[in-house]
Amino acid sequence: MDEQKELAVIVPVSERYDNVIGLYNDYKAGIELYTKDYEFIYVLDGDFPDVEKLLEKLYQDGEPIKIIRLSKWFGEATALTAAFKKTNGKNILTLPSYYQIEPSEIIKLLERLNEADMAVAWRWPRKDSAFNKLQAKVFHSIFNSIIDDDFHDLGCGVRALRRKVADEVPVYGDQHRFFPVLASRRGFRVEEVKVEQSQRETKTRLYKPGVYLRRLLDILTVFFLAKFTKKPLRFFGLIGSATFALGGLLLIYLLIERIFLGVDLGDRPLLLLASLLVVLGVQIFAIGLIGELIIFTHAKDIKEYTIEEIV
Amino acid sequence: MDLSIVVPLYNEEESVKPLYDAITHAVTPLGIAYEILFVDDGSKDKTFETAKSIAREDKRLRVIKFRRNYGQTPAMAAGIDKAKNEIIITMDGDLQNDPSDIPLFLDKIEEGYDIVVGWRHKRQDKLITRKIPSKIANWIIGKVTGVPIKDNGCSLKAYKADVIKSVPLYSEMHRFIPAMASLAGSNVAEIKVKHHARKFGVSKYGLSRIYKVLLDLLTIKTIVSFTSRPMLWFSILAIPFLLLSAITLLIFVLMFFSEGIGSLVIMASLIIIFTASGFFLIMGGALGELIYKTGDMKVHELALLTIKDIKNQ
Repeated sequence: MDEQKELAVIVPVSERYDNVIGLYNDYKAGIELYTKDYEFIYVLDGDFPDVEKLLEKLYQDGEPIKIIRLSKWFGEATALTAAFKKTNGKNILTLPSYYQIEPSEIIKLLERLNEADMAVAWRWPRKDSAFNKLQAKVFHSIFNSIIDDDFHDLGCGVRALRRKVADEVPVYGDQHRFFPVLASRRGFRVEEVKVEQSQRETKTRLYKPGVYLRRLLDILTVFFLAKFTKKPLRFFGLIGSATFALGGLLLIYLLIERIFLGVDLGDRPLLLLASLLVVLGVQIFAIGLIGELIIFTHAKDIKEYTIEEIV
Repeated sequence: MDLSIVVPLYNEEESVKPLYDAITHAVTPLGIAYEILFVDDGSKDKTFETAKSIAREDKRLRVIKFRRNYGQTPAMAAGIDKAKNEIIITMDGDLQNDPSDIPLFLDKIEEGYDIVVGWRHKRQDKLITRKIPSKIANWIIGKVTGVPIKDNGCSLKAYKADVIKSVPLYSEMHRFIPAMASLAGSNVAEIKVKHHARKFGVSKYGLSRIYKVLLDLLTIKTIVSFTSRPMLWFSILAIPFLLLSAITLLIFVLMFFSEGIGSLVIMASLIIIFTASGFFLIMGGALGELIYKTGDMKVHELALLTIKDIKNQ
């Protein structure tokens, strides 16, 4: 790797991208307000021949650009991780490949890095359509209530971070949205900075139902990762014992009816349900135990804590 | 034998200095080499700064600062991980344990015990919220593990470094170290220690709820007695279901010939459910077997280590 740059700017290019050259110049102008010692890293998440051509042209014009092309679609977070490995910039700035915030606002985030480990953009006030605002609001209120945190704009890809955050927080696949959450879980100081939203990002976005489902699953994943990775039995055990108890109660009820009221057991579908619940309960519990076994056998590699300083 | 003293601290700015004084006061007369490790568990107050300023004057004190609050077990694990000496003593940072007990622990270790556990026999805590739940928890832990330790929750403990460093420490496992180590074949001794009421601050690490203790206990029990043979354990779990399946099959056959009592469909479905779950559990056991074989933590290594120790004496 070449000499250390003050700032590495990472732009993952995925399904959605705006005018590549125009955006580059806007970003560049915004960054140069802060430092002249920077490099751009574009990560193409899959095959984007037209974007690649434009970027190569920029490169030949002498712009400080690196291009990483992933062999297939891996997700934005994997793209970021790939770029983190290819740069030794002191600070890192991630930017979306489309207009989300006014590029002149970038400096606010970078300046915040003096106190915080990570500064994430919060588009405020939102100039979006009412529907977009509603979507974001619903998502964040569900998310914050489950994870017990306070984030307002996880959908915004504009984030400034110190080198060590990139080194220590593993993100992959589709988790880029939760990057700040994972970082704050690891004990880094993450702050939201209000920035002006780009004028050009106002179109109402309605996604396919599958996308909404994926978001919901994402929340569950992060919840599980954050709360129960070290103690799978707490999670599975709770669900398992609840299921088991429900089935057990039903069975007792059936038995009482059989013994005292003389109702025949053999032709009652409820018996099926009760047995199914009992069996399911035991199985969920067993999965929890297997999870514990995995954790235990890898306990030597697991460090639950992060050390900031040793004196 | 050299000594490392590990103390997790969380928002204990008033206690740091008195604690340091008490420890040095208790250990220096013994004339052994020692180090003190303060682990600042992400305190919000001046705990780290206070400890740091003491460490500047005393090279024997090291301070580890966590990036955020992680809890008592990770704090102890970090301290133990960084400890350099042959004997490790852990204690609370809230001055409820008395460092003047340390020599007693060292004596026991020299007698050949691997782990020495403190027993707060005159505990200075609230009866209802702390003492009674802890009595119940200790009783259950004793019954299940067969290691009757009266006070698993007492932080003041002494270990031989190679024993404790081989025990996996995560979540709230520190409560079960003696039980775990003893099941793996270590010698555990228990001695009475002094216990003081809190002088500064409030209690931070509350007694975890009984539910958590129970699940942790089950984990430990499974891990220690069955990790090396998960297949067997899961098969035992599967037996009742397979039995049920056989009984239902019998009823089914009887019904088939005498017809008129109940529904055959429901009986058949029951057989299927029970059989399937029985097999599922056995498969789970096979999976466990696989995990254990590929993992790098082996219970028998804990035991081997202890045997080696005994030979050395």
